[in-house]
Amino acid sequence: MSKKIDVLIIGAGPAGVAAGIGARREGAENVVVLERDWDLGGILQQCIHPGFGLRTFKEELTGPEYMHRFIKQAHDEGVEFRTNTMVFEIDKATNTVWTMNKERGIEALNPGAIVLTMGCRERPLGAIRIPGTRPSGIYTAGTAQRFVNMEGYMPGKRAVILGSGDIGLIMARRMIWEGAEVEGVYEVMSWPGGLRRNIAQCLDDYGIPFHLKTTVTRIHGQDRLEGVTVAQVDDHMTPIKGTERYVECDTLLLAIGLIPENELSRMAGIDIHPVTGGPVVNDLLQTTNPAVFAAGNVVIVYDLVDNVSDEGLIAGASAAKFAAGKLSGSARRIPVKGGENVRLYSPQYVTGETDATIFMRVTHPIEGACRVFAEPGLYSQRLRYARPGEMNEVKIKAEQIRNLPDLQEIVIDIQPV
Amino acid sequence: MNYDVVIIGSGITGASIARELSKYKLRIAVLDKASELPAGASRANSSMIHGGFDDKPGTVKAKFCVPGNKMWHKLKDELDVHLDECGSYVCAFSDEETKHLGKLLEQGKTNGAPGVEIISGDELRRKEPNVSPDIVAALWSPEAGIINNFEAVNAMIESARINGADLYLETLVTDLLLDGNQDIRGVATNKGEFLAPVVINAGGVHSGEIASWAGDYSFRIIPTKGEYFLLDRTTRGFIHSFLFSCPSKAGKGITVLQTAEGNLMSGPTATEQEDPEDRATTPEGLAEVLKGARRLVPNFPVNLNITTFAGVRANTESGDFEIRALAKPRGFVNAAGIKSPGFTSAPAIAEYIAGLIKEELADRITLTPNDKFIPERRNIPRFLYMDMDSRKALAEKDPAYAQIVCRCETVTEGQVLEAIRRGARTITAVKMMTRAGTGRCQGGFCCPRVAEILSRELGIPLDEITRHGGESKLLVGKTKEFLLKKEGAANE
Repeated sequence: MSKKIDVLIIGAGPAGVAAGIGARREGAENVVVLERDWDLGGILQQCIHPGFGLRTFKEELTGPEYMHRFIKQAHDEGVEFRTNTMVFEIDKATNTVWTMNKERGIEALNPGAIVLTMGCRERPLGAIRIPGTRPSGIYTAGTAQRFVNMEGYMPGKRAVILGSGDIGLIMARRMIWEGAEVEGVYEVMSWPGGLRRNIAQCLDDYGIPFHLKTTVTRIHGQDRLEGVTVAQVDDHMTPIKGTERYVECDTLLLAIGLIPENELSRMAGIDIHPVTGGPVVNDLLQTTNPAVFAAGNVVIVYDLVDNVSDEGLIAGASAAKFAAGKLSGSARRIPVKGGENVRLYSPQYVTGETDATIFMRVTHPIEGACRVFAEPGLYSQRLRYARPGEMNEVKIKAEQIRNLPDLQEIVIDIQPV
Repeated sequence: MNYDVVIIGSGITGASIARELSKYKLRIAVLDKASELPAGASRANSSMIHGGFDDKPGTVKAKFCVPGNKMWHKLKDELDVHLDECGSYVCAFSDEETKHLGKLLEQGKTNGAPGVEIISGDELRRKEPNVSPDIVAALWSPEAGIINNFEAVNAMIESARINGADLYLETLVTDLLLDGNQDIRGVATNKGEFLAPVVINAGGVHSGEIASWAGDYSFRIIPTKGEYFLLDRTTRGFIHSFLFSCPSKAGKGITVLQTAEGNLMSGPTATEQEDPEDRATTPEGLAEVLKGARRLVPNFPVNLNITTFAGVRANTESGDFEIRALAKPRGFVNAAGIKSPGFTSAPAIAEYIAGLIKEELADRITLTPNDKFIPERRNIPRFLYMDMDSRKALAEKDPAYAQIVCRCETVTEGQVLEAIRRGARTITAVKMMTRAGTGRCQGGFCCPRVAEILSRELGIPLDEITRHGGESKLLVGKTKEFLLKKEGAANE
């Protein structure tokens, strides 16, 4: 018999590797991170562009460089990794985790605590129901990135990019660097989905046209993609007649959003938040199954990997405490409510056991001075602007919560000043 | 190449005929222009095994539908195909429509459809709580079912091949070959001539054109597009069976069903068009489907949609199947104009065709029973549906079954390898045979992995792998090679 696993972490991307470190530092003896791929690092392994780690390391690293630093720390801390190992089922009654691996076969693990760090996946074409044919040449930006950066193959010669999520913007530039053409980036909303710096560095610097309030309305081509029809949309996102334009292209890359990957979370019987698409968590990153914790893009899709790593450290530490029986079951559970300009946020509950950072996105952009705040009087910070593509934070100290024993709820919002 | 029978088309009709004829000592060739099966209307349809109440007594369809239904309930075990024996409802929204249900009930009785009865709207809602409160009555058909159509076509053709039939994919029939008597000698294809005294036209949406080569202009195919929504499998149990609207002059109308795999699905439209190969979905068609779906199931969770698709079915002017042997050229048999309930009817049509050959074409080929016929065929193991002990045993025997390729549908590398062993050469072929890529990410995760496995196993470069044959390559070249080639061209 192998020794009992104290903390089992599912997914060795930035959140999972950090969770491993967090769990070991909190004193968990046997910490195991499972990774379904052959290598550690998750999606960051294919993000070979710089721009990672500015907050954590105060320098600009590529995805693999950023991950290397964390993986090295995790090895130094004594975290065990199992690659090529996929979790395919979680039994919620017993918290049994079923894994498969070519060498080890099929195994059942019964850890003291589980941390979910499966990340997110890209929204596919079907999610937005574009009429037309189904030829080859249509990829999510991340799949195309894998082909180019990991496999060394080009998905096409002339691309249209639908959606302005960060991977789409990064891939626009990547396609240009590899000698392909990018006809344009089309975004159905009236604001970009990704970070402003990526619009500047990936589109503007290369003269790639960026069309807001415009979308792809039809796909053409039998075998290989031959073109798309694009059209402007009105305020209800309905295509405006007469604005249609045919664009010849052999590739359509989709950057139309990321969804937390929660098949396993559902099996674990935990509540999934209808708006974030990730587990409902408190500030200890504990889900509604007390033995299950979650961190990173599986909870809410972040802009910056630094935040993902920070959350991973917290979840790992919380899971270690739980496994050691040190997490009191009687923690307070103060709900966080989003105000009228809050589209989504996480965590949804605050315990007062730890300093809490609440991550949020606005519904509508505010281009001008505004204020992010938490009522009653817990936090207030002035901002130069607030945009849906860029996350905001609210920080609340444990002490503040402890000083308010009758606190019933916290309301967060961002409003112009 | 010399054969006794050439079958044009390997949809469910052609595949069923091939299997039926493989019960006799015959050399059989099945030709299909596609790179994977099923490809035409057999891929994109409602995957319904009809109860048999819907066809007017006296039609060819009515003759084959009920017997076909009975055969599928047996074939599902023989061929190891997933058939959800869930029954179906025709939903009436008014007294007038309820009256029409009465007519369908009578029709069902005449056709020999077992167990058909009318239930109240409330009774329906007890079984299907998510249907519209406005439904006043429903016709229940207990023998109706929903089949995994991808599995069924592959199972049928595999069974035929186990019993000696040859399948030729990417083989486009371009003409008929006639002998000195102006009778059938074979067919011409893009891969050369296939000679046989009997040619069966199971060409689906192209069957009218093929018949015209034989001088048969007695029917015309009206390609009719049907568009569909397919939703995530997390919708399992939203409804449990197959819901029809009450048929009107406009056709059977939009249906809502749960596929054999547990996806909620809705469609089809019925749009007549010129082009038999136009399978593009349209804004109008999709809007019509959504409207129809919401009429039956008001909270139809369209936000969980994972793909939309369209199929083109081989409608005829008469609305009926066209099944017969021509007097001239002798040896030419139509199994044409097969549309709904074609999937249901296919095994019965196949049996009928065998009889037809015995009776009318005995001078051309002799049907001697094949005493070595093996009726059973086993599916590629479905990891998703196995219990844990079977999974462990399988993974121990072959570690490739301990490696997931498609995470949405829990498809293992072992299954992909087995599909390749059984003939899969494209991404779509692997999808049809294993369901890798049919889930919520629609191949975003598994497509590159399946491509790598195909490349490795078949020994062909990754950038030669296609999505569905023809020009549908996934990639256009290696990164640096591509850049250098482009720069070279610029320098010249």
